[in-house]
Amino acid sequence: MGIANRAFRNISRRKIRASLVIIALAFSMAIMISIPAGASANQQSAQSLTQTLSNTISLTESSINQTATQIDCSLTPSFQNFGFNPQNSTFNQFGPGPRGTFDPSQFGGGGGIPGEFGGGAFAGRGSTPMNESLYSDIESIQNVAATVPILQASEGTNQTISSFGRSFTLLRVEYVIQGIPLNSSLIDSFPILPTNITAGRNLKTEDSGVVVLSENNSAFFGVGVGDNVTILGRVFLVVGIHGTSGVSDRTTLYMSLSDAQTLTNNAGIVTSLEVFAANSDVVSSVADAIGTLHPELTVTTAQDRLTSLQNMQNSYNTALANAQTTLNQTQTTAVEEIVVAISATSMVVLFVMLYTVRERTKEIGTLKAIGFSNWTIMSQFMLEGVLLSLIAGVFGIAIASVAAPLFSGLLLPAVTVVAQGTPFGRAPGLASAATVTLTPILVLIALGAAVVLGALGSLYPAWRASKTRPAEAMKYE
Amino acid sequence: MSEPILKIENLSKSYSLGKRDVQALSGINLQVNKGEFVSIMGPSGSGKTTLLNVLGCLDKPTGGKVFLDGVDIASLPEKELYKIRRSKVGFVFQTFNLLPYLNARENVEIPMECVGTQKNERSQKANGLLKSVSLEGREEHRPHRLSAGEQQRVAIARALANDPAIILADEPTGNLDGKNKQDIVKLLANLNINNGTTIIMVTHDSQAAAQSERILLLKDGKISREKQGLLLAKKKLLCPYCGSKVQPDETRCPSCKKALRQEEEEF
Repeated sequence: MGIANRAFRNISRRKIRASLVIIALAFSMAIMISIPAGASANQQSAQSLTQTLSNTISLTESSINQTATQIDCSLTPSFQNFGFNPQNSTFNQFGPGPRGTFDPSQFGGGGGIPGEFGGGAFAGRGSTPMNESLYSDIESIQNVAATVPILQASEGTNQTISSFGRSFTLLRVEYVIQGIPLNSSLIDSFPILPTNITAGRNLKTEDSGVVVLSENNSAFFGVGVGDNVTILGRVFLVVGIHGTSGVSDRTTLYMSLSDAQTLTNNAGIVTSLEVFAANSDVVSSVADAIGTLHPELTVTTAQDRLTSLQNMQNSYNTALANAQTTLNQTQTTAVEEIVVAISATSMVVLFVMLYTVRERTKEIGTLKAIGFSNWTIMSQFMLEGVLLSLIAGVFGIAIASVAAPLFSGLLLPAVTVVAQGTPFGRAPGLASAATVTLTPILVLIALGAAVVLGALGSLYPAWRASKTRPAEAMKYE
Repeated sequence: MSEPILKIENLSKSYSLGKRDVQALSGINLQVNKGEFVSIMGPSGSGKTTLLNVLGCLDKPTGGKVFLDGVDIASLPEKELYKIRRSKVGFVFQTFNLLPYLNARENVEIPMECVGTQKNERSQKANGLLKSVSLEGREEHRPHRLSAGEQQRVAIARALANDPAIILADEPTGNLDGKNKQDIVKLLANLNINNGTTIIMVTHDSQAAAQSERILLLKDGKISREKQGLLLAKKKLLCPYCGSKVQPDETRCPSCKKALRQEEEEF
């Protein structure tokens, strides 16, 4: 019958009171645990987002630099062209429903940077179909080294989203077909093929019926090098896998232009012309000449793309600064709320133990009359407080393991990175409910905090108990 | 000549009540020998409980000396008194003061825990003590499952746990009815006769006091009178009134014809 046993029996002796106190303390502790978990999730999300954006920008920049002489020519996307080929291909990230808003983080565009940050940042490889034969005169412009017709088609599933009473059908892109003319004069001299082959081989001259998939495509179709893959009902042999090289190719699979045109039933149709200038000094004059010859074309040079990238970077920095400000606010709020929760927990322990000591004055007097030292009495009451707090801590962890996302959502300001009107569109918000998790370290800290708070809260009541006069045992009501 | 277990010299105790000093005890001199059973009687406010508190090291006197088993407890600092309480004193309270969340054996074990007795030894001794107070088979019962008389027996067993030099009983029969009252006094008297336990009992009950060896009357903080109880007579087999020899089972003194069983006289 040690002091621990007596402390435990004293707690269990008044079950309803102990249960109520434990529930109150448990919720207080659950909040105390959930807040740092939420704040930490926000921090991690912000870091991860920063990392992703930085990687994208640096890969894109390096890719742009490699294509200094490249000029993208495409038709400006227009709504008239929606549903160009409704049979099996869509040339735009938009479905048939016009005037919708779209979330580029989910719906990668046909051009630009598909995948996470689509939205046509570099609308070079356009999404609007154009008749290749109408632009054959570009090749005769002075200082044009080559003209490469490209056909790009996004494939995916249509999703209907309702918002404010209206329905929008959006194409959720699963893969992007890119048809490239496989002439040795073009593929040997100009950067039009994927550059980062991670398995198998790249496309080569006169290849037909073969594809090079991206790693994402490989996972999506569940095939590897040497396997057959069925695309839009036709079987292709997978000859290679490419890793992302930074530009718009996370979900892009490459095949010959003629295969792509046949596959999508679009003979003679392309979505962009990649014009290569003889050298980087004449890029600007060539672009001007193209613009003069075909004013309907959107002409984008590497310089334009770099400028666009710079804008994107600036916008990204602003968004990140906003996010950082909100994160700082979150941390301040988190600290304030934790202080309140800690104080509440200590106060609950303090008042409960004070009440207990007062209620048990005679018992304490008896123990002292029997020969208990002040220290033993103090230890017993402190142990009771710690035990109470520890039991509540365990329940608090159990509650937090389920309700931490809810608590952190309710108690912390929402943090999102918003860069409106930028190529980002809206970047994903930071900590979502699902990302708030309790780490083992946090659980250990919570248990430690429960012990410390229990000890702190019961310190004064235990000291009061130890100072009880033993003669109290002789008082009879 | 018996060895003194308690010696009080010129003991005084006063309290401050606001601006007024209250003299609870003054000039008390008393010697209690080993194996004696002394009752202290007196009206309310006469200082009985104060005296018991001082003797039990629950309170410190303001003057005089109190030697308990050779140690002057009046000169000991407050923080040392618990050591005397745990080893030399056993308390029996009017309201039993058992811990409600412990069973009978665990209640008896508590004082032994204070002096570091090992668990097995504690349990064994507690069982033995409960047996000696006729509570064999009730060891696992918690106080609420015991009658008032049984609870007081557990309290007496607890008081004996550390073989104290002296048992201090504060109105041990105060919360008991007739039969239980007699049983508890008888139990204390038997402990005194058979084991030589020194007992000082504060009581209002003259019948209970009469069963002790010596009766002290306290009035206004002083011992105003002292007389022999029936127990002394029993021990010595002498009539307390005329001093002539009596037999243990006799109810009246064959010489002076006075009753030997009951002390009707009130102070």
